[in-house]
Amino acid sequence: MSRLAEQAYLRTRLAIMRENLIEADRLAELAAMPYDELATESGFDEFDGSGSPGQRLAAFERAQLQSWLDELSALLRPLEGSGRRLLTQWASRYELLNIKALVRGKIGQLPNDEIERSLYLLPGFLNLNIEELLNTDNVRDLLRQLQNTRYRRIATQALRRYEENPDPFLLDATLDQQFYGELIDRAGQLDSGDRNEILDLIGRIVDRHNLVWSLRYRFNYFLQPSEVLYLAIDGGRVLNRTRLQRVVNEESLAEACAQLPAHLLPDDADTSSITQLDVALKHDIERYAMRVLRVSPSVLTSALAYLVLRHGDIMSLYAIVHARVHGLADEVLLASLDQLHGVHG
Amino acid sequence: MRAGYDMRHVTLKLMRNDLPRASLVLAELETFVPDDRPLLEAELPEVPGKTFRKRVRRAWGYLDRLTGLLGEQPPADPSRSFPTPHRDRLVETDDWLASSWQHCAPCDEALHNIEEAYRELGQLEQSLEDFRGLEIDLGRLQGEHQHLDMRIGTIPADNLDRLREILTLSGHLILNVAGEDETRRILVAGEKHRSDVLDSVLRAAAFQPLAIPESFDSNPQALRDELRQRRTALDEEREIVLRKIADWKSENSTRLAEARQLLEAAEPYASLHGAARTRGALGVLQGWLPESQIDHARQRLDDSLELPFLLESRRPRRDERHLVPVQVQGRGLLKPFAILVQQYGVPRFGEFDPTLLFAVTFACMFGMMFGDIGHGGVILLAGLILRKRLQSFTYLFVLAGLSSMLFGWLYGSIFGVEHWIHPLWIAPMSDPLYMLSVALAWGVGFLTLGSGIAIRNRLLSGDQGGALFGPGGLFALILYLALLGGMINMAQGRGFPLVSTVAVLLTLTLIAVYHWRESEAPLGERIVTVFIETYEIVIGYLASSLSFLRLAAFSLNHVALSLAVFTLADGMGWFGHWITLILGNIFIIVLEGLIVTIQTLRLEYYEGFSRYFYGDGTPYRPLRVGRSMTR
Repeated sequence: MSRLAEQAYLRTRLAIMRENLIEADRLAELAAMPYDELATESGFDEFDGSGSPGQRLAAFERAQLQSWLDELSALLRPLEGSGRRLLTQWASRYELLNIKALVRGKIGQLPNDEIERSLYLLPGFLNLNIEELLNTDNVRDLLRQLQNTRYRRIATQALRRYEENPDPFLLDATLDQQFYGELIDRAGQLDSGDRNEILDLIGRIVDRHNLVWSLRYRFNYFLQPSEVLYLAIDGGRVLNRTRLQRVVNEESLAEACAQLPAHLLPDDADTSSITQLDVALKHDIERYAMRVLRVSPSVLTSALAYLVLRHGDIMSLYAIVHARVHGLADEVLLASLDQLHGVHG
Repeated sequence: MRAGYDMRHVTLKLMRNDLPRASLVLAELETFVPDDRPLLEAELPEVPGKTFRKRVRRAWGYLDRLTGLLGEQPPADPSRSFPTPHRDRLVETDDWLASSWQHCAPCDEALHNIEEAYRELGQLEQSLEDFRGLEIDLGRLQGEHQHLDMRIGTIPADNLDRLREILTLSGHLILNVAGEDETRRILVAGEKHRSDVLDSVLRAAAFQPLAIPESFDSNPQALRDELRQRRTALDEEREIVLRKIADWKSENSTRLAEARQLLEAAEPYASLHGAARTRGALGVLQGWLPESQIDHARQRLDDSLELPFLLESRRPRRDERHLVPVQVQGRGLLKPFAILVQQYGVPRFGEFDPTLLFAVTFACMFGMMFGDIGHGGVILLAGLILRKRLQSFTYLFVLAGLSSMLFGWLYGSIFGVEHWIHPLWIAPMSDPLYMLSVALAWGVGFLTLGSGIAIRNRLLSGDQGGALFGPGGLFALILYLALLGGMINMAQGRGFPLVSTVAVLLTLTLIAVYHWRESEAPLGERIVTVFIETYEIVIGYLASSLSFLRLAAFSLNHVALSLAVFTLADGMGWFGHWITLILGNIFIIVLEGLIVTIQTLRLEYYEGFSRYFYGDGTPYRPLRVGRSMTR
């Protein structure tokens, strides 16, 4: 497909797919619905015969994810080369989530069935053999199996560290570093027309990830500033390493927030807690992604923005259904919704 | 020619306990394709085998790890039939494999640890060499210092840049880096009072400290002895572990081979999913089987099953035609062409299987574009010489080579020389216009045949509208032929005949009316759509016809390239002449041969398949014994 045809196809596809995005008002409407109405509106009632509530929720989540992956496949169809590789890399975040779930499950010595329920069903182009990893005896065995995959480097490092302490957060951070590192590498291989636009979007996502996780590592896990800096991801838009160092060198959250660059957060952002900061950054990225989807000259960036937004919607919808199935109070639901709606980096 | 036309839907009614055995029997036939639609969900609500499948997967996991430790097992005796994969037997095997792995896992762990110790020892020896070269007093490095904090150890090479940057920011230094593989040996220095900072960063960077032997600085001979002793101890330790493994293997190799055979036999049942359903003691297995295999399958089941069964078959219903698995005709000479057809898609049930037509037209078009006895002979020989590497694609080379030789004989061309033999038909350069006319005529024939097949395929799929009025449909074909006939008449100076005019107007009207009725767009958009779609049908046929002119163009191109090679060669001395001729001919065979192949495939796929081939059928993947099904 020529570049012109590729652009036309993607623009048309995105214009149609944009209808799938759920507006904030609609989400609020769904959150306020009684269970039966919500089940019909969200499509959860299609899973009525799928066993226990937990199994139905898992089936619903998988179906939602499957629709996200189907849309991704449709967007991938006309793409070749670096553009295709970039979007495929974005999808591989589910591989990452599966590995994290597997490691935590094995550390916690959970039964395989329980771990399996927390895993995503992955499409063919993501070729991690979950079954083999699941059938391992323990974390060490899992990491050895992982050495036979493209996560070899991480698994080898994790195995070396395992002797001292099986730190899931260190592994998580290394996995995220590899994921974003590869994403930024692939973005760097794009044509100049797409490259700057897409790096801008990814940079915002990386900024959010770096800030939120650095603050968590620093003030919740009490890591040393240097270690926090080591675990940060390169490629942020505003928050480079020097700026991040100033933030994590502070002794309290308030002092750290005072060191943040002025244009990182919206003016009205609540910085009283890391969670609130996270919400503010997520909403900011969401607004930016929506603008990119509508007006970006780079159709590839619009496609990535759509995938980011759509994933946020899916997570929000799932959170609402999950809360209603388990009978959570409205305020808990709204709080979790506030956290979930937006970007999940 | 009708793809998958002998396929029947079969339902095997049997007792639940016989399901694993029946699955194995059907898998051994290698012709049964499971159908996991919930057709009998109301009568037989249970899908059996979930626990069975989990056991099989778990058992394979243990067996794989045992194989990784013990090495590949010798293949099972092929004369031995597969055992019936009863559940109890599977459970027993799975438990045995689990306990075997528990028994062997410490050896596996010990081997990993020994390997790690070897690696560390190697790094240590290297480090000592590095520091000897640097003339650093390691005795002082090892000791306690009041202000200085120094660490010697290894990190993964990927982490070095990041670590260097972060250590710089935290006031530490990497004094020395050595090593070239995935691991780097480093010497880090910093202030003593900030050792906690250094600890945390090094931990994140997967730093492993190296323990420097006490004897390093005092006595080089003692150091060498100490390292040698460590290595010897590791060798002995490994020897003991390997002996243990070998002993266990020799005691259990028969049992391991049996376990593998049982798991292979269990695979078909484990991979059935919804194709098997049960209620109480009753079970059903449904799928697709070629009609010619049904009696054989019945006989095999009769010989193998202990309890009564009933095998019923029926023709596929109209609504399930798209689900019928279709095997592309592709044995022997046709195999490479079947692979190329499947690159495009799988024929629908009952659809025209294009493999044979593809093979014939591919050979003809390749030969027409690349007609040369010498060059064709080289392609033929290359195919035969490289037959082991090319496997089934040898036939494609042979056919292309033979066709090229045949056309070379018709064109009178041997390695581009056109005066060695008299052409049986015509030398392309002698009458290019005639060649172009022939190519056009071939194209018209090809497109007409393609449209004929498209009409038939659409009728079979129940798409009468498409068969009559769609692109490539009956009226589009009449329109094309009428236009073509009229234009030929005009070119011959006899004007556009009335018959053609009437046919053109009539078919155009019918097609436009059809599209008008099919469209649900608003008036303005409808007018535009109908106009564009009708126009596209006309222009599409004409453009496709012209596309075939490349057949003549490449036959002329072949002669022109050969002439260019001769001209270059003639301008050189004896040696240069022959070198140019040889290299020029290689160039023609490789480059032009490749281009012609691509052009032929393009004509086949774009002008042929896209016109008449749906290619969205269900691939034929029969149940088989062995590992591949669930992996």
